[in-house]
Amino acid sequence: MSKTSATEWAEKVKANDRMAAAKLISAIERKEQAARDVLKRLLVPVGKAVVLGVTGSAGAGKSCLVSCLISAYRKRGKTVGVIAVDPSSPFTGGAFLGDRLRMHAHGRDRGVYIRSMASRGYLGGLARGAVDAMRVMEAMGHDVVIVETVGTGQDEVDVARLVQTCLLVLTPNMGDDIQALKAGIMEIAQVVVLNKADMPGKQKALLDLEVALKMRRVGGEGWPVPVVPAVATTGEGIDEVMDQIERHQVHMRKGDGLEQYAFRKAEKEGSVIIKDEIERVIFDHIRGTGLRRNYLDRIVAGRIDPYTAVEEVMALFIKKSRKKIKVQ
Amino acid sequence: MKKEKENKDRKIKVLITKVGLDGHDRGAKVVASLLKEAGMEVIYLGMYLMPKDVVDAAIDEDVDVIGLSLLSGGHLVFTPLVVEEMKKGGFDDVLLIVGGIIPSEDIPTLKAMGVHAVFPAGSLTEPIVTYIRNHVRP
Amino acid sequence: MKAAQKPVIAGHEKDVDWDKYLAAYYEKPRSSLTWSGLDVKEVYAPADLPPEQYKDVGDPGQYPFTRGIHRNMFRGRYWTRREVIGMGSPQDTHDRSKLLVDEGGSGLNTIADIPYEMGLDADHPWAQNEVGLTGVCITNMYDMETMTADIPLDKVSWSLITASTVAVVTMAQYAAVAKKRGYDLKKLRGTVQNDPVHFRYCGFRPACPLDLSVKLGADVMEFCTREMPLWYYTTVNLYDLREQGVTAPQEVAFGFLIARLYIDEMIRRGYQVDDFAQRFAFYVSCHIDIFEEVSKIRAARRIWAKLMKEHYGAQKLSSQHFRFAVHTAGCSLVPQQPLNNIVRIAYQALAAVLGGVQSLHCCSYDEPVCLPTENGHTQALRTQQILAYETGVTNVADPLGGSYYVENLTNRLEEEIYKIMAEVEKVGGMYEAIQSEWLDRVFEKEALARQKELDDRDKILVGVNMFTTDQETATPLGVQRIMKASVKQQIEMVKKLKIERNKTLWKKRILALKAAADRRENVIPCMIAATEAGATTGEMMGAVRLAFGYPYDPLEIIQAPF
Repeated sequence: MSKTSATEWAEKVKANDRMAAAKLISAIERKEQAARDVLKRLLVPVGKAVVLGVTGSAGAGKSCLVSCLISAYRKRGKTVGVIAVDPSSPFTGGAFLGDRLRMHAHGRDRGVYIRSMASRGYLGGLARGAVDAMRVMEAMGHDVVIVETVGTGQDEVDVARLVQTCLLVLTPNMGDDIQALKAGIMEIAQVVVLNKADMPGKQKALLDLEVALKMRRVGGEGWPVPVVPAVATTGEGIDEVMDQIERHQVHMRKGDGLEQYAFRKAEKEGSVIIKDEIERVIFDHIRGTGLRRNYLDRIVAGRIDPYTAVEEVMALFIKKSRKKIKVQ
Repeated sequence: MKKEKENKDRKIKVLITKVGLDGHDRGAKVVASLLKEAGMEVIYLGMYLMPKDVVDAAIDEDVDVIGLSLLSGGHLVFTPLVVEEMKKGGFDDVLLIVGGIIPSEDIPTLKAMGVHAVFPAGSLTEPIVTYIRNHVRP
Repeated sequence: MKAAQKPVIAGHEKDVDWDKYLAAYYEKPRSSLTWSGLDVKEVYAPADLPPEQYKDVGDPGQYPFTRGIHRNMFRGRYWTRREVIGMGSPQDTHDRSKLLVDEGGSGLNTIADIPYEMGLDADHPWAQNEVGLTGVCITNMYDMETMTADIPLDKVSWSLITASTVAVVTMAQYAAVAKKRGYDLKKLRGTVQNDPVHFRYCGFRPACPLDLSVKLGADVMEFCTREMPLWYYTTVNLYDLREQGVTAPQEVAFGFLIARLYIDEMIRRGYQVDDFAQRFAFYVSCHIDIFEEVSKIRAARRIWAKLMKEHYGAQKLSSQHFRFAVHTAGCSLVPQQPLNNIVRIAYQALAAVLGGVQSLHCCSYDEPVCLPTENGHTQALRTQQILAYETGVTNVADPLGGSYYVENLTNRLEEEIYKIMAEVEKVGGMYEAIQSEWLDRVFEKEALARQKELDDRDKILVGVNMFTTDQETATPLGVQRIMKASVKQQIEMVKKLKIERNKTLWKKRILALKAAADRRENVIPCMIAATEAGATTGEMMGAVRLAFGYPYDPLEIIQAPF
């Protein structure tokens, strides 16, 4: 791929060349310059693909649900791209990317492209790589793009800003958690799926959810959030889930829903990219000088406060940087 | 030494899988966990897969290492099929590692087929991790 | 003047590390825990064994059978020396079986290959590469005939560990062959493993849906109880659970809870426990901590006896017996310095015998490398024979009984086993624990812990993390390869059978089987009829699967041919 020019690479991706797309996503994860050059050439018309997000805590059955959605879309002749994000261990940096295993029924279907990604140290919020990978999936021409996330609070909020229809997956035994759920999460989902609905506690969970949703401010969207009981392991309830997704898609696309989505997405993407870039550029500047370690030690020893430390690093950067910063 | 340090920062992506009908997965799952604890990103593909399934997944995920777990004497049958799929798919610059029940007599044969390293049952963790770190493509 | 030259000594050129030698001279064991992690004292004494406890121990042959199910144990009869055999085509397996009997083996014991264990025919598109690699493949009645040819079924005791998933098929095929050869089924002796529930943990999950497993397991139990009363219709497999990496108490706890699923199903079908429990048997592992394994077996006997008597109300003594076969622990063997495995296996066999085993299979030392070679197989048999004829362990029943340590450890393990069983109840019972994958998580956790013990040297494995040598380049006594030609021939014969059989009769019988399964009847009588008409393993299992709403083919590759 290093021999291919950025334009050629972009063309391959747009022609649904899976190896080109796979290698691009890897290059994105490694933050290579070449990846950025290709991404610049992958402008995607907003709304061409149906972009879904699937969030929820670990164990809720997200992967199983995604597998059902894939089946449903394939039955309708749609191609699907999936980005499945799993958490990287904060201690070892490693990750077990186990979502793919739950979607193994689609392994042989060339109309489905599944890519697993580790969150790679993004402590809050969706991995930058996943944001860029979504762009790649859309550029490949998939009819549907699904992002399945790790399920921590912040990245759920991020996903919601970046997708058209966000599904929140809960289960009956999260009963007490539903009460404690931060309002933000309940506000951002367009469809709530109560998975493992064959478990005891379903009725109580449905009631709790109704109450929680009633309390939520109905945002500018004017979309009443449905709660759909389902059992992803058997496929029960999936038709209803699909129905609700489609209804939301119709709702969103009439009026200025799509424009609002485009704006949200541009805002969020821009914000993710710029924060990432600034941090990278500034730290690139002091990499290898031992300065970072020096500051950290001094903060720990109480000889300097973190605010002053940051001011000094920023000042150093501004003073030293004469050349134009290239977004990488 | 320097190569190992560089590779410590670089995230290594590994695909661990069984091939064919064999369903003994204790070793494969243990290796997957250990590689994760060593800082690698591991995809465990499962069982009942044919060589093409394995390589297709490896390409889609753009992994650096393919690890086959073979416990039923199928290593001489399945390994060349996997290697062939890798060549056909233009994906033969990745490390190919085999583990499981492998007679030592067959190790040279496997290497001649294109396997880079063999870690039979009873292997400790550290040699596997070190090997991958030292030999994975930059 | 030239410096004096060092004398050249031929032989050991490496410098000896004398500090290391000194350290070895004064060395202490690193750990005083049992293999399963139980903390034990430096020494046990009479205070640890109050005499009044003996009534809970009992004499050999006396409830609760801690000391053995027979009064005089091996003095009355040796354990059965039953080496597991399965390789290549039915003919290959037949030949190796006869060889081992010739060498002194006292029981036949056959294991299936992976296609058979999945319920696939040898000509299934995915099976063809793997037929005969790890066992025998019996696709139809004629394969069974070949395997049992000129062996007097009324004289031998045949243990069929063919495949728990397809135990129904195996029984049907065996019974069909026996009938054809004119034997009275009621006089046949043998065992069929028949533990489909545990089989999902050996990697056959698509072939072992939980509800079907319990139903078919009970079908075999029921059929044998009615038609083959001398047959042991199950050996609930604790061995494979142990192979997942779990501890000794976990092995027994989980195994017993699985056993109860079958018993409960039989009772639900209206049987009294004394009608059938005399033929209930177990397949147990023997690992390398000799005293722990003996204590585990003694504890298991006591727990089972109490369970049968107090919970199920069994009156007959034989219903309360924990009778078992041992397979020495395959997972304890390693390919490094393979001859060491002979020693490991010998210690494990010793534990089995000291524990009072009924039937024993010793692994061959090449187990972690390949299927047993002729020499490896014979060596395993010799291990048993040396134990039986030379060591004197057979003189006395329960020779370790009364040991302050062993009685104490037996009690400890009993406690642990009950604790684990209670944990499973908290999760919702064994069925739920399996269905919800709780048990999978336990297995993964334990397997990882065992590996870490080796990495961290909390457990020592000679040749692996201590006293290592360079990697072997060859296996002592060679490697067993599968005879490709005979396997290919078998596949061709299966294809031929499917073309040449009487299609009308075959179709009638196979649809009758499906109808019986639809009505939730015992499937074996129809399976016997179907197999006599040339129906194959895959077809018969497929028919039953369809009746239960599962795909005909567990791999969902081929369609039903009817």
